[in-house]
Amino acid sequence: MSDEEHHFESKADAGASKTYPQQAGTIRKNGYIVIKARPCKVVEVSTSKTGKHGHAKCHFVGIDIFTGKKLEDIVPSSHNCDVPHVNRTDYQLIDISEDGFVSLLTENGSTKDDLRLPTDDSLLSQIKDGFGEGKDLVVTVMSAMGEEQICALKDIGPKN
Amino acid sequence: MQNFFNGRPEDLVHFQSTMQTIEHACSSIQMHTNPAVAEATILSLRQSPQLYQTCKFILENSQVANARFQAAAAIRDVAIREWGILSADDKRSLVSFCLCFVIQHASSPDAYVQGKVSAVGAQLMKRGWLDFMESEQEAFLSEVQMAVLGNHGVAAQFIGINFLESMVSEFSPATSTAMGLPREFHEQCRASLELHYLKKFYCWAQEAAFSVTNKVVECDSSVLEVKVCDAALRLMFQIMNWDFQLSKNAHERAINVFSSGLRNYVVLLKKSECILVQPGSSWRDVLISSGHIGWLLSLYGTLRQKSSFDTYWLDSPFAVSARQLIIQLCSLTGTIFPSDNGQMQELHLVQMLSGIIQWIHPPDIISAAIENGKSESELLDGCRVLLYIATLTTPMVFDKLLKSISPLGTLSLLSSLTCEVVKARMAENTKEETWSWYARDILLDTWTTILQPPDIGKDAELPPEGIRASACVFNLIVESELKDASASAFDDGDDSGLPQASISAMDERLSSYALLARAAVDVTIPLLTKLFSERFTLLYHGRGTSDPTCTLEELYSLLLITGHVLADDGEGETPLVPEALQAHFVDILEAKQHPVVVLSCSIIKFAEQSLDPETRAAYFSPRLMEAVIWFLARWSDTYLMPLEGGRQSDGDCQHESQPSKKALLSFFGEHNQGKLVLDIIVKISMTTLVSYPGETQLQELTCCLLLPAVVRRKNVCAHLVTLDSWHNLANAFANGRSLFSLTATHQRSLAENMIRSAAGMRNSEASNQYVRDLMGQMTSYLVDISSDSNLKSIAQQPDAILSVSCLLERLRGAARASQPRTQKAIFEMGISVMKPILTLLEIYKHESAVVYMLLKFVVDWVDGQIVFLEAKDTTIVVSFCMQLLQLYSSHNIGKISLSLSSSLLSEERTEKYKDLRALLQLLKNLCSKDLVDFSSDSSEAERTDIAQVVYLGLHIVTPLISLELLKYPKLCRDYFELLSHMLEVYPEKVAQLNNEAFAHIVGTLDFGIHHQDTEIVNMCLRALNVLASYHYKERGAGKEGLGSHAAGMMDQGGKWQEGILSRFLQALLQLLLFEDYSTELVSSAADALFPLILCEQGLYQRLGHELIERQMNPQLKSRLANALQCLTSSNELSSTLDRINSQKFRKNLYAFLGEVRGFLRTM
Repeated sequence: MSDEEHHFESKADAGASKTYPQQAGTIRKNGYIVIKARPCKVVEVSTSKTGKHGHAKCHFVGIDIFTGKKLEDIVPSSHNCDVPHVNRTDYQLIDISEDGFVSLLTENGSTKDDLRLPTDDSLLSQIKDGFGEGKDLVVTVMSAMGEEQICALKDIGPKN
Repeated sequence: MQNFFNGRPEDLVHFQSTMQTIEHACSSIQMHTNPAVAEATILSLRQSPQLYQTCKFILENSQVANARFQAAAAIRDVAIREWGILSADDKRSLVSFCLCFVIQHASSPDAYVQGKVSAVGAQLMKRGWLDFMESEQEAFLSEVQMAVLGNHGVAAQFIGINFLESMVSEFSPATSTAMGLPREFHEQCRASLELHYLKKFYCWAQEAAFSVTNKVVECDSSVLEVKVCDAALRLMFQIMNWDFQLSKNAHERAINVFSSGLRNYVVLLKKSECILVQPGSSWRDVLISSGHIGWLLSLYGTLRQKSSFDTYWLDSPFAVSARQLIIQLCSLTGTIFPSDNGQMQELHLVQMLSGIIQWIHPPDIISAAIENGKSESELLDGCRVLLYIATLTTPMVFDKLLKSISPLGTLSLLSSLTCEVVKARMAENTKEETWSWYARDILLDTWTTILQPPDIGKDAELPPEGIRASACVFNLIVESELKDASASAFDDGDDSGLPQASISAMDERLSSYALLARAAVDVTIPLLTKLFSERFTLLYHGRGTSDPTCTLEELYSLLLITGHVLADDGEGETPLVPEALQAHFVDILEAKQHPVVVLSCSIIKFAEQSLDPETRAAYFSPRLMEAVIWFLARWSDTYLMPLEGGRQSDGDCQHESQPSKKALLSFFGEHNQGKLVLDIIVKISMTTLVSYPGETQLQELTCCLLLPAVVRRKNVCAHLVTLDSWHNLANAFANGRSLFSLTATHQRSLAENMIRSAAGMRNSEASNQYVRDLMGQMTSYLVDISSDSNLKSIAQQPDAILSVSCLLERLRGAARASQPRTQKAIFEMGISVMKPILTLLEIYKHESAVVYMLLKFVVDWVDGQIVFLEAKDTTIVVSFCMQLLQLYSSHNIGKISLSLSSSLLSEERTEKYKDLRALLQLLKNLCSKDLVDFSSDSSEAERTDIAQVVYLGLHIVTPLISLELLKYPKLCRDYFELLSHMLEVYPEKVAQLNNEAFAHIVGTLDFGIHHQDTEIVNMCLRALNVLASYHYKERGAGKEGLGSHAAGMMDQGGKWQEGILSRFLQALLQLLLFEDYSTELVSSAADALFPLILCEQGLYQRLGHELIERQMNPQLKSRLANALQCLTSSNELSSTLDRINSQKFRKNLYAFLGEVRGFLRTM
């Protein structure tokens, strides 16, 4: 058990299944879904029938959680869809390096240095500004289907 | 105002140049060159020094119609604004200028300018109506009368009538223009016009119409006289639309509400609007005994005859207005007719009916003519007349009316007309809304009005022709519905939307069908049975060989119709078996042969076949199942195990002894077939939940309609909990995973229904045990998972999230079903998951959907439990809630989401908003403990100070509510509701708040009184009222009051912070005097202002003084000083805070604002 646990913690995407099957009818707004091999957040679900006396089908509108692109899919509601395993981990932000990488402090005391800063200017400045002001920042890193990205930022008070 | 054109040349030059500027601006707007500048120029006209003279000059002299229009608009705006400071002469001259202008320029080609000026005249007339002497009013109106009667020529006649039209619409509160005056003003104007002039106007219009009749009949339709006649008819119609108040005395109104009005009220809710006209006895001479109606009908008839070759005439303005007036006159009722048992009214209606009979009779020929291109408007109006007459008469009288002039009864005519319309509808085969569609709706409303079960004491017996007619119409309607169904069976399902939505859209129509069917049950019930069995046979025989889709769709529609015929919608009550079905079939002795039983059984037997997997796959499509479930829910509400007492409800022993009725009621009773049918229903429910994966609409009907119907009554529950099928369902729910495939909301309502069935257990212990058994597994799963050492990694897996969400939804459903009987078990359930909930909130802090569910569970659980809890338990629950708030706040405060997608960001904001609403809801639920408390012990020592707790909670939550989030109206309302409630109920706690918390509250109040939503401003004003009153009273008693919060203090930066009361005194005065607000707010503002002034006398004096000093104009200065003086001293206002004084102050404030706001805002 403890081996397995270690396994999970060290690498979010290895070992654990990247996606799980779930009946389309039970996926609701604000949940996650895989559309065209991309992990998406569902922002709209509607149902319709294939002809009056046919079976129900679900129409999903999802937004790619990494790129923000809009994707759509139609699935018979009794069929299974893939639901991505979306993991979010909090790290304390230690440093921002010149070459566009961040240095993060993990729970067990080591550092994680393989994450790039976002390329979008406004997101970048939101991180850099807070850090520059000397605030203590916790970043939330979202990972799913082998991709990682910083998705939120939280100010936990001035640096001591 | 100086006299006009007293000829100072420099004035003339000035007028000339202004006119040119305005003309230029108007034409540049039209050509769309630089519109913003042009608009500003036109608006600046309103500020010019000699506005009235300038505008009059433009009106008289400009060649540009638009400039004249703008000048009229400017006069209106400025005069309404400054009315209070105009002299009496000025007011009069403005009104008479407008009047003279329109009459003199009656034949000017730009009609819209004349229209505008006459509207301005009417508005100013109304604005000054209460100031003018009676003789002045008369003088104005006699000028108009001259014009209307034709003394100034035909063009002026037209203009005069138009002016009266504007006046009537201004004086009728529903159509009046806002003038920034209280409602009383509008009401007084309305009453005055109705009393003195309305009838005169009508007579003038009559005379005007008479005077041109000959011309109209002789000449073609393009002459000006036709326009005059049309305008006169329109004016009469408008007057007949007036909401007559004088004729109704209190006694009559009471009768209207409780008896005769009720039937009308039902009709008023219908699609085809039906307004009854009750002008009162004083109108009898004008409308009834003067031959007016005969004249109108024959005028219309003559012209109709004359224009019979002109296909467009029926839709010409003249024909339309004439018919509108005729319809309106059909709905005359009330004291205009003498109390002669309705004889005169009957004569009146016969006259009307004979006048319009050609519009609708003979139906087949007219329908054919319409199909060939004749206009349908006359037919539709004829149908409306029938509807109005039906509203005013009993079925017997309705039928008799036509018999006096033709061999046919009115009901037969109605029936053949309806049949003809339905046939036309069938022939059309389109989904579009054609004439037959409208006509059908009006006619169905007419049938509904006739067949609606009447109030006690009203004669609604249907003549035998009526019964035959209904049967015939119902027959044809069902045929047409079935045809529609099979024709649309292959349509794409997309447009049908939710079944609920389409059912309720059809509901109105279906209930008219049901009334028709119930009027002739002897024919219609067997007919339905026959139609069903034909289709069942078709299915069985065609199985596997032919496509059943058409038959399925026909069954779908038959089920909907039959559901309506057999049972009424209970809306949460227990509906009785419809009287018509109880009372008929007297000769049936054996229950099994009772047609209603036969029909019900055949449907239930059919539904039962869906339990067999093969049959289900063969023809129980999800849509058909939806209809089956809907039918079963509606049917079982009425017929399944009816209460024994239900039979005696009307106390009618004669009915009681009727064997057929007894047979019908007991057949599905507890001791007969009831239990068997219940078992079938439960099995079918289980099937739809398990065997129709992903059919959410079907499952929704099962969870939200059918199951609630069976667990609603205790006697049904008592049988339910003994059934094996129910146990199977409960077992699958508690222990299996098969029901995890339901969507979240269905999980919740399923849980709710399961828990509610505990009402059927023998006693409270058994009920509690039942709940424990149901929920035990689930709570222990949550406890287990939350204490799992591996939680962090497994929690994020989608299947774990799915299980947790399902269980939380179920817990929430259970919590919503809290009842005294099961309260204990549900409390324990909540207690046992308290710790897991906090753990899960931590683990899922990034999983907004789960967070929301956690919060909502707590909200509902607290809501159901709080009133029952003893002091000790309350402490536990309250401290849990506070931990929850703290934890939520610690996760979210200062958090910024980073995402590329703006829609994801806005989704996230919406989620935050929903969370916060839930938290406010939680605090509100905690609040209710102080208002309603069923707990037995209450030793003061153990008691939790709820107010303290809620203030603490607010303190935690408030920082999370940003101004951005307050843009969500619901959140904003909830927040201010809670805040103002707290301030109102516990003002003493405010004094104990620390500065930071207090500053938050003041900040939001400040935000609130400037909010657009008057409701929110109102709440804030109420809170201010309470705070100031509290402070004033406490100080009067020599106590602290609000202490330092009121006195003001140094803040951390060493700056002086004003006290709350002085701050809001200034803010409120500023608002009242200088800003825009709705007049509804004045009284609550007065209530808040009064105690504020009392608390801060010194400041108030100073502010008043400053206000006076700022005023330059000495005349206005003294006026303002006087008004301020009156505000605090007139009406013997004293300085005690009580209701009488508040009322006086309200009056004073109204007067004060009326006096000064006009010039303060414009200067």
